[in-house]
Amino acid sequence: MRTPRALKRSIWVFHLNTGSCNACDIEILDVLAPFMDAERFGVKLVASPRHADVALLTGPITRETLPKVVNALRAMPRPRLVLAIGACAVSGGIWHDSYSVIGGFPRLKKILEENGVVIDRVVYVPGCPARPEAIIYGLAVLVGLLKKKVRKEVKEAGER
Amino acid sequence: MNQHKDPLPERLRPIESLIREWLWIDRGRTIMLDVKRENLVEVARGLYKEIGAFFKTCAGVDERPLWGGYAVHHIFGIDEEGLDVVVYVRIPEKDYPWVPSIVREVPAADWCELEFRDLLGIDPRGRLTQRLVLPDDWPEEVKPLRKDVPYGYRPPRAEETKPAEVGMYPSGVPVGPYHPALHEPEYFELYVEGEEVVDVRYRGFHVHRGIEKLAESPRFDYNKVTFLAERICGICGFVHSCAYVMAVERAGKVEVPERAEYIRALLLEVERLHSHLLWLGVAAHLLGYDAGFMHAWRVREKTMILAEYLTGSRKTYGMNLVGGVRKDITPEKVPKILKVLEEVAKGTKKVADMIVSVPQVRKRLEGTGVLRKSDAAALSVVGPVARASGLNRDVRKDYPYLAYKDVSFKVPVYSEGDNLSRTLVRVEEIFESIEIIKQLLDRMPPGEVLNEEWDIEPGRYAVTSVEAPRGEDTHLLITGVGRPYRWRVRAPTYANIPALRPMLRGQELADAPITIASIDPCFSCTDRMLVIDVRTGKRSVLVTRPQVKVVSLG
Amino acid sequence: MVKPILKLITVAKEAGVVTRKYPYDSPLLTEEFRGKIEIDASICWGCGACVKACPSNALTIRESMDVRELVYFAGRCIFCGRCADVCPTGAIKVTKEFELATEELEDLEQVVIHRKVKCPICGKHFVPQPLGRYVCEKCAKGGVPTYMMVCPECRRKVGVKKMIRCKGG
Repeated sequence: MRTPRALKRSIWVFHLNTGSCNACDIEILDVLAPFMDAERFGVKLVASPRHADVALLTGPITRETLPKVVNALRAMPRPRLVLAIGACAVSGGIWHDSYSVIGGFPRLKKILEENGVVIDRVVYVPGCPARPEAIIYGLAVLVGLLKKKVRKEVKEAGER
Repeated sequence: MNQHKDPLPERLRPIESLIREWLWIDRGRTIMLDVKRENLVEVARGLYKEIGAFFKTCAGVDERPLWGGYAVHHIFGIDEEGLDVVVYVRIPEKDYPWVPSIVREVPAADWCELEFRDLLGIDPRGRLTQRLVLPDDWPEEVKPLRKDVPYGYRPPRAEETKPAEVGMYPSGVPVGPYHPALHEPEYFELYVEGEEVVDVRYRGFHVHRGIEKLAESPRFDYNKVTFLAERICGICGFVHSCAYVMAVERAGKVEVPERAEYIRALLLEVERLHSHLLWLGVAAHLLGYDAGFMHAWRVREKTMILAEYLTGSRKTYGMNLVGGVRKDITPEKVPKILKVLEEVAKGTKKVADMIVSVPQVRKRLEGTGVLRKSDAAALSVVGPVARASGLNRDVRKDYPYLAYKDVSFKVPVYSEGDNLSRTLVRVEEIFESIEIIKQLLDRMPPGEVLNEEWDIEPGRYAVTSVEAPRGEDTHLLITGVGRPYRWRVRAPTYANIPALRPMLRGQELADAPITIASIDPCFSCTDRMLVIDVRTGKRSVLVTRPQVKVVSLG
Repeated sequence: MVKPILKLITVAKEAGVVTRKYPYDSPLLTEEFRGKIEIDASICWGCGACVKACPSNALTIRESMDVRELVYFAGRCIFCGRCADVCPTGAIKVTKEFELATEELEDLEQVVIHRKVKCPICGKHFVPQPLGRYVCEKCAKGGVPTYMMVCPECRRKVGVKKMIRCKGG
């Protein structure tokens, strides 16, 4: 769905850590520090998912946090937007086949749909850890301010 | 195992009669004592109380492919001689293995015993047990770290979920797992009487990702595990990577060029700078002084840019390989490093001065969260927590490694043991780190930085310790064919958590957050992962039920 | 009470404004930064050394009967640069690209398709063409013997036949 006009200005974000190593989390805090000040866009870190527009999800979803993540995302009001930050959230990262890990947001999305929680829009931000500039870029793409740059490339061997 | 038959060190004479056999794994640095199961508790008491060694960690190993049974390794350390003592106990039973628990003599062994019970099924007898590490809905029969369980096996949910903790009081204040004050998912309930905290129910290990099992899987080999080790923790990742790589090199007798050792030490100090400045900002934020938070992180940003300039990435440097480092520090980079160090030194001086001089901040830091020297020594705390309580302990001086033997630096020690001394210890360490980096740059020897010709035999053993910004980080490694056979990580916060009990006793609730943050908990490390701890801990106290039970037992 | 505020004001004034107005300004990159990798399809051999070296399985190989595909999924990449270190031809280059946000995961894929060499005798496909050509050039030293571009089973049969013929049988 296209982001409603009401969400094109100040976005209130909620930080949801599903078992990450914290490198992406300190880069999220770095976005609020003086060098890469996100508050000039009106972005604010809020205390509860009930006040949030966007959930900043980091970490490969571990087995123990799974029911708690589902509850936290269910508490967000519609429209629910999610920014999956870091290689772990996009696809499980280096832990993608460990026994104690669900394996990234795409698999979580299926589980959420089974439980009746609909996510309206997801944007994936790769990186290990994702730079603060990459997080700001991802947020801008999510809200519709900037267009994405990457595209799938299929090349035959021998062509440049 | 590689061994030398040499005389037993003098310090260990009091327990000589209880040891079956001793082997020097690494001359002068690591000795292994083979002990019978029935003598284990006596040996632990002798080492901990009479000889004065302190406890580092314990690891259970599935050695059925090697000789047909399980074994437990307890690691002690004698600071004054720089000696690691490994107590090795063989367990004859194949099904339902057990060892006597040493928790009454050595309270610090509490969590490691519960861990090998969860992951390997070795039962520590003589104590109360509960599930610690695995998720609530994990079936009881599946023990993940055993060699016959494949690494990617995800069992279906168990029929009945076993919650890790059972509450003693009927009601409490629940905090978590997703709470505005917490940066990490943990769950606790606080029980308070008026303003004083009485008890807490805690459920951690939300970040357990199965690292030790992954390192043994066919997907990895020695070089790839360095990248895995770096992602144990995003704040002190390079420390884990260095400790792992040093363990492999020590076990496999791999030659490392000297220039690589200097570069590793330099990057370790750069990491210490960024970590302490991060802590300073978070501590100021917890006390309500957000201006301090912003300025501390402004100064810290320069160290992140420096790290990117030297290694290629702001965090998770990816510089270590077995046999050296991947990138060199060329001479044209040196002026820029010195300029950044100047700016950081000046900036830190002003910012730390500013934060500590605000009367409200100072009053909240002074005299709160006192940890006496006797308590600190009994609980084997590590890092700035120990140094602020009068114990002069630093792995860089006691068990020298890498290039630290060639540089001279001071170790700041304060004796009051309150939150203010922990703050001042960390601020002084920032200046000492800057001096160390300057000395390393001066004395760096020329040469190459990577040795790619090595061949590691299986069945070798090594124990290493590295000084992380939070304390001492210990790794145990047994080599296998092409990849580690068993790898055990004990992070520094794991040893510091029991110190919260005496620190918080009788404290007011309002002082609890800064006290917890003052041990600088790094949840992700502890939960490698073992324990998840509260990072910012605004409304939470980390007095965990296992500790309450243990101390009330003996 | 007044002194700490004066200290704060002095510190703040000295620091000045440090904010970079990204995305309307350039990001704080150094020249060593490791971003996404770029695979040059004209040089790649399809040998699979990068697949063996990747710690997180971001580079994988999809084999089918007549085609070998090298797939790079940037979503699982940890940006370590090991693939660029071990590539024998230098086809993998590390760029400074970090603006990789997208809504569909397929945008993060890069695929290089190698057609395999077809054995003239039995018709089976066995090795990617660039790798086969490189091996021929290295081993031939001046002329391509008849059984170089032939699959291993047929090569064995042809070789034995040649040996028997040479022996005069």
